[in-house]
Amino acid sequence: MMSNTYRRALLVAATVTLITASARAADEAATYFRQNCMSCHTIGGGRLVGPDLKDVTQRRDKGWLQKFVANPKSYLDGGDPYVAKLKEDARGAVMPNIAGIDEARALALLEMIERESKLPKSQFAGLNIGDQPFTPSDIANGRAIILGEKHLANGGPACVSCHSVDNISILGGGKLAPDLTKVFERMRGRKNLASWLQAPATPTMRPLFANQSMTNDEITQLVAYLETTARKPQQTGDTATLSFFFLGLGGCVLGFIGADTVWRKRLRGVRKPLIEEARRGDR
Amino acid sequence: MDVRSQISMVFHLDKCIGCHTCSIACKNIWTDRKGTEYMWWNNVETKPGTGYPTRWEDQEKYSGGWELKGGRLELRSTSKSKIVFNIFHNPHMPSMDDYYEPWTYDYGNLFNAPEGCDQPTAKPISLVNGKYLDIDAGPNWDDDLGGSRVYAANDPNLEGMNEEQRAQLAAVERLVMFYFPRICNHCLNPACVAACPSGAMYKRGEDGIVLVDQKRCRAWRACVAACPYKKVFYNWQTGKSEKCILCFPRLETGQAPACFHSCVGRIRYLGILLYDAERIEEIAKSSDENLIDAHRSIILDPYDPQVIEGARANGIHDSVIEAAQKSPVYLWVKLWKLALPPHIEFRTLPMLFYVPPMSPVMAQKDGDIISHTSDDLFHDIDQARLPMQYLARLFGAGHDGKVRYALRKQKAVRAYRRWLTVGDISEATVDRMLREADTTRDEVEAIYRLTSLCTFEDRFVIPPMYREEAIEMLQDPMEAKQSAGFGFMEGPSRGL
Repeated sequence: MMSNTYRRALLVAATVTLITASARAADEAATYFRQNCMSCHTIGGGRLVGPDLKDVTQRRDKGWLQKFVANPKSYLDGGDPYVAKLKEDARGAVMPNIAGIDEARALALLEMIERESKLPKSQFAGLNIGDQPFTPSDIANGRAIILGEKHLANGGPACVSCHSVDNISILGGGKLAPDLTKVFERMRGRKNLASWLQAPATPTMRPLFANQSMTNDEITQLVAYLETTARKPQQTGDTATLSFFFLGLGGCVLGFIGADTVWRKRLRGVRKPLIEEARRGDR
Repeated sequence: MDVRSQISMVFHLDKCIGCHTCSIACKNIWTDRKGTEYMWWNNVETKPGTGYPTRWEDQEKYSGGWELKGGRLELRSTSKSKIVFNIFHNPHMPSMDDYYEPWTYDYGNLFNAPEGCDQPTAKPISLVNGKYLDIDAGPNWDDDLGGSRVYAANDPNLEGMNEEQRAQLAAVERLVMFYFPRICNHCLNPACVAACPSGAMYKRGEDGIVLVDQKRCRAWRACVAACPYKKVFYNWQTGKSEKCILCFPRLETGQAPACFHSCVGRIRYLGILLYDAERIEEIAKSSDENLIDAHRSIILDPYDPQVIEGARANGIHDSVIEAAQKSPVYLWVKLWKLALPPHIEFRTLPMLFYVPPMSPVMAQKDGDIISHTSDDLFHDIDQARLPMQYLARLFGAGHDGKVRYALRKQKAVRAYRRWLTVGDISEATVDRMLREADTTRDEVEAIYRLTSLCTFEDRFVIPPMYREEAIEMLQDPMEAKQSAGFGFMEGPSRGL
């Protein structure tokens, strides 16, 4: 038979485990939200692509929300009038099925949103960049971040290794990812772009920045630079291609000259020069 | 002491008549296949001349052989670091034009040409692309062309001679040439073997013949560039390198190699030399003036009991030691010091030796009268038309001492025989000449006999190779016992 003390100890241990487990679940929900939802939604920060989620559980029934979050696609296809309105508000942008979501996780998210809604300022209120023009130093810093001249504080990779912006540097940036010159327009403004940058949500960017997100200062500077490039009258793509072509041609010629110098002592035929020399002597 | 045996050769240049029979014998046996048309494993060059491939001796261009750099022997053509830069293109390769574009003739036209006013001709056709060809080069294009302004004048061995000396070489009545037959030297320190990145080249253990393993060759052609004698060739049909194999299938059946066998002038000698393999590196590092002496010192006395014991310890059969004792090469090279290695300054330690040629005395032309500068029938060797400096570059790494010694001894042999048979030279003169040539009547008589009266058995002392026993190490001779016929490529099966 178990002793009393032992039973009590077990009870304490179970309670502690339960508390830490629920705390861990909340923590996990916040991380999940940061990595997957934040690029389209805020909690109390106003509308981005998707609606502001503050007090969403008071606007709609929690059970419905849970099902919708777990599988938005089926509702979008189902012709629900509320969902149709949401789609219209978002100017046609629809909520995708998020990787790794299920009903249990959706519930955890909703609970987390409820808790955050009660706070005066949620950690997911989004980055609020004012309408004032950016300072030249912000723009310059943004450029330096893109080029990798300035390192990201949390250690993310430099943008230029995959992206190109406005023919930055002689060779331009990487060609793996989309050109960012007009990204400011595509993302419809400062607020959306800044939120997106807080938690980049594409399959390629997510793993890169999941554990080393950019700081608010860095995001402001990046947005500042990207806004400038988007507003700048664009050089036509043809000139860039042409200059790249000539650069390649020049490099090729230099390469040949280099190889010819390195192998200048190579055998260039022995007999023919002898004959030519003798013929020259005859004249 | 690490005693090994090496099949070595001596070519007596004073006897060579430049008939190219050796080249043809070799060509007919080994290199009349597709892809080998341009190869001449044996070729005969006229010297002074540029040879085949053109100016092969010019290592500034071809980068063959070894170089002594800071006490280390290094290949000129390649090294572990150089090969990285030259991996897609070896810059020292002779081109087809430096050999020559091989050709045949359109003989069919002689029979099939339509009737016309002219005799039909057989136009030359390239053996490479099958098109008509204007022949302007061949493997012996400068044959007999002493004094040619293109070929003779560009002989690399003339380097270091002044304009006057060069002009003398080409002057009428002073014109001179000799023949220089060449095969693979089967060197002791072969640059081709050292350069091969595939490990396809090897020096056969039992007799030192240098061979290319046709299965392992990967067409890097490093051997072609590394061989300073340009005696490894690339077969463009099979994509493998090939070279003189010293007719080892003939040797193994007791026959002399084809070029030796067919030699009209009987200039070729072949026999076993025993040498000390431990000293190869040390010898190859000797200074230029000591190279010949050092090279001779690596050859061991086959009568020395210690050498015989060492040879036996290394598994050299008694019959091979006996062959070494009878070797004519040992006499020419080591005892008489008459035969010299070609271009030993390439430091591959060639095992083919040449007895340097005598040349006629110089003459002067005064109006219509031609007079010789020496009235002496056996003129002084410095009066010879071929400058000592030239022979020294070819056979003495630039130092004439050893060449002078060999020529003086040859001259003594002639004088001695003249005294014996004609008698117009005084005995005192002969004795003086023998003394000057560091020789004796017995030795001179022996040299005379091996030069002029040599039989097949004197010239070629081929050791038994015991192939039947060697084969037993690799194959079971009983394998085909109780089977009959020639076997099947595909086994027969019952039914239709």
